[in-house]
Amino acid sequence: MPVLQLTDICIDFPTTKGVVHAVSKLNLTIEPGRRVGFIGESGSGKTTTALSVMRMLAGSGHVSSGTIRLGADETDVLALSDEEMRKTRLKRVSYIPQGAMNSLNPIMRIEHQLWDAIIAHEGKVARDELKRRSDEALESVGLSGHTGRLYPHELSGGMKQRVCIALGVILRPELIIADEPTSALDVVTQRQVMQTLKDVQSGIGSALILIGHDMGLMAQSVDELAVLKNGELVEIGSVRQIIEDPQHPYTQQLISSVPLVGGESFLDDTVGAPPIKRSDSGHPLMEFQGVRKDYGDVTAVHPMSFKLDGEKPKIISIVGQSGSGKSTMGGIMLGFTPPSQGKVMFEGQDVYRMGPSATLEFRKNVQAVFQDPYACFNPFYRVNHALKFPYKRFGLAESDAQVEAKMAEACEAVGLDPAIVLHRFPHELSGGQRQRLIVARALMLSPKLLIADEPVSMVDASLRATILKNIYDLKDRYGISILYITHDLATAYHVSDYVIVLFHGRVAEAGPPKQVIGDPQHPYTRMLIDAIPWPDLKRPWGADPAEDARRMEEVRGHTETIFRGEVPGFELSTGGEMRMAAE
Amino acid sequence: MFGIPRSYLFNRFVTFLLTVWIAATLIWIIPRLSPVDPAEVMLGRMASGGAFVEGSEQILQSLRERFGLNDPLVIQYFKYMWAVVTFDFGVSVASFPTPVWTLIAQALPWTLGLMILSLIITFIIGNALGAFMVWERTPRPWKVVIPSLMIFTSIPPILSGLLLMYIFSVKLRWFPLTGSYGLTVTPGWNWDFIASVLTHGFLPALSIVVVTFGFWTLGMRGLMISVQGEDYVNLAKAKGLKPRYILYKYMVRNAILPQVTAFALKIGLLVSGQILVERIFSYNGMGKLLYDAILDQDFAVIQGVSFIIILMTALSVLIVDMLYPLIDPRIRHQAEAA
Repeated sequence: MPVLQLTDICIDFPTTKGVVHAVSKLNLTIEPGRRVGFIGESGSGKTTTALSVMRMLAGSGHVSSGTIRLGADETDVLALSDEEMRKTRLKRVSYIPQGAMNSLNPIMRIEHQLWDAIIAHEGKVARDELKRRSDEALESVGLSGHTGRLYPHELSGGMKQRVCIALGVILRPELIIADEPTSALDVVTQRQVMQTLKDVQSGIGSALILIGHDMGLMAQSVDELAVLKNGELVEIGSVRQIIEDPQHPYTQQLISSVPLVGGESFLDDTVGAPPIKRSDSGHPLMEFQGVRKDYGDVTAVHPMSFKLDGEKPKIISIVGQSGSGKSTMGGIMLGFTPPSQGKVMFEGQDVYRMGPSATLEFRKNVQAVFQDPYACFNPFYRVNHALKFPYKRFGLAESDAQVEAKMAEACEAVGLDPAIVLHRFPHELSGGQRQRLIVARALMLSPKLLIADEPVSMVDASLRATILKNIYDLKDRYGISILYITHDLATAYHVSDYVIVLFHGRVAEAGPPKQVIGDPQHPYTRMLIDAIPWPDLKRPWGADPAEDARRMEEVRGHTETIFRGEVPGFELSTGGEMRMAAE
Repeated sequence: MFGIPRSYLFNRFVTFLLTVWIAATLIWIIPRLSPVDPAEVMLGRMASGGAFVEGSEQILQSLRERFGLNDPLVIQYFKYMWAVVTFDFGVSVASFPTPVWTLIAQALPWTLGLMILSLIITFIIGNALGAFMVWERTPRPWKVVIPSLMIFTSIPPILSGLLLMYIFSVKLRWFPLTGSYGLTVTPGWNWDFIASVLTHGFLPALSIVVVTFGFWTLGMRGLMISVQGEDYVNLAKAKGLKPRYILYKYMVRNAILPQVTAFALKIGLLVSGQILVERIFSYNGMGKLLYDAILDQDFAVIQGVSFIIILMTALSVLIVDMLYPLIDPRIRHQAEAA
């Protein structure tokens, strides 16, 4: 008997502007113990469909027709009373949320959050029994019983996600719904957490719905794959059949849009306009002179020096896991995080010792694109304010008409229609549109250097290529040098001229991407690359904790930087040598 | 202490002392910017009988001498600081020669009793209503009734006081009209006195509760809405927890944290009382004391009362700072990191 049968499900969201049909006429059956992936971009209805099984649709959303039958007894989920539905949640269908960062109550200890779940379904349970079961659940996801005594803020992102998995399996449900459980984690942690999820799920024999938009992760994690688009199921089948022989053009597009290391470039190199000669000062554009950054006893960035000249624009990628120091480097370059040691020079001037007018000039010349396209706009203003304001502030505006023309030009450069987007409020735009506007905003100021910190990690996979293309175009068309900070080696492979791999604040490996990522030599780079899930069933991906620990040991032992060749106009060295030479 | 690092406690205590010191200095400076000479005010009061005061110049001089107004400012300041530390605020000009501290000591318990009681009632009612305004399981009629109660918030307390007085004291005669306790009872721990105090305090307290609960309700409503959207509330639902448990342990418990800080700040402010409420009910608290002192240009009393207000505010903030790590584990963590 199937665990779940969805028959002709339609889900509607009534709004003031009429009814939105989020899901229409969807049919799906899940057999016990099977792992089924729901793939599609935001708004495709994948999360909505899964949540309807728990009757947890947001706001006014409701199932307008169809039936949902759960388990061998074919419980009609939609006919349950509120109290019966409450008892079904977690006991029969559990949910592992996407944002594990904020999914735990900040004022309760971890184990109390496991206990209250048990008590809500089983009534009074002896304390010893609760403790035994919570420790057992935590151990099943690779956490020690001691973790139970901690508060959520004392845990790392990966640990919180594991706690959420422990919670999802503690009552041994028939069906687990995991909503992008690893999207906030870096590749190495993602692989470990995914492995844990698969292990505990097959251990208790429940079925799993895995929601996501990463084709590679899906290929490596599920048995069956359902492809959704605009609330419709466009294709369903075994993962092998979908990956190797996709039928629907949308599925084909999803698979082909995944940037692969060594794969075909998604960039269009035909732009080929001659780069504009930008640097006129004779000084390097950006220079680190023996820069080091400490936070208390922890060294976030070990001493390093580099010189990036502005003669010919380049894209330098800085890659690494969370905590590798890559964002700290970005902050140092932007003038936000003073280094503990060494100097940061922009066109020959010390960034941290500039006068007010030089600072203003520096701010104009060095622009940033950050990770979260939601947090970058003031929700109070229409988006054109975010574009107009810095432009006027830097004294570039000549007339209102000129500002409008400039905004329109910048929007078109990133592939947006200015007439449609500029007069909207941030909440009326999609994440992808917002992120492209942020790129347009930076572009308007014609900076010399752009620091892009994880610019695409929060947008849908299908949009990543487009936004990266926009950023890439800035280099050739507008002569802007870019520092691309990311954990995604595949995109770094395609866009960059030079790659720096950081591990715990040290440069592990550096050089042109074809060498560093295409043929990694450092054990850490290799580890990162092996952790990437490929949409290719022939490449094994599963994690073995013992093997991972052994490799980590090897990585720690290898503190020497491996240099893999040079590119003209960029020099990198570690330690304090260049600083000595400069003084 | 309860796992809170000593440096955190020490920092809070130093902040407390600094606040009190700066505030005490300010309330010393501000009245000295006023052009009014308190000695002349006092003389004026003597002359208010209509008669000419014999040797007014000498009297002025001796008054100035008596209140130390002839000393250099620095000396006055240090004398003042010493006085503040010993709670010696001098003598009242209006109720000469009663020491200010005696006046405050008489008024403070009344205000603390009345105001803290009404604040606690308001805090509980206000936050509960705010939480129910947001909770999805609140019965529908409540969702209509609660927002319409907000209309009371727009009434000034003086009006609500007069209205309640008219209905309950004049028309229904359930409660006495004014005063802190009946004239016929003997103050002390006897039942008649306690009953009298309670009946006299009821209307002033009610008039404050009625008009101030909206502050907590609206604040709580905003906090609850943002907490309601938190992932952990969503996950609590997915865990199949009971709705009332989610309301208390996941929503209210998190939303209330900023309200607790506001509560501490209010404690300090309410020492000055709802000045006008105390005035119309002739309630002998700090509010009335301050009101009369301002009318009489009675600097010593104004300073004394102001200092007590600041001390109470700083003290309650200090207490909340000490308690906060216990109700919010994240603070304990930050304190350790600092």
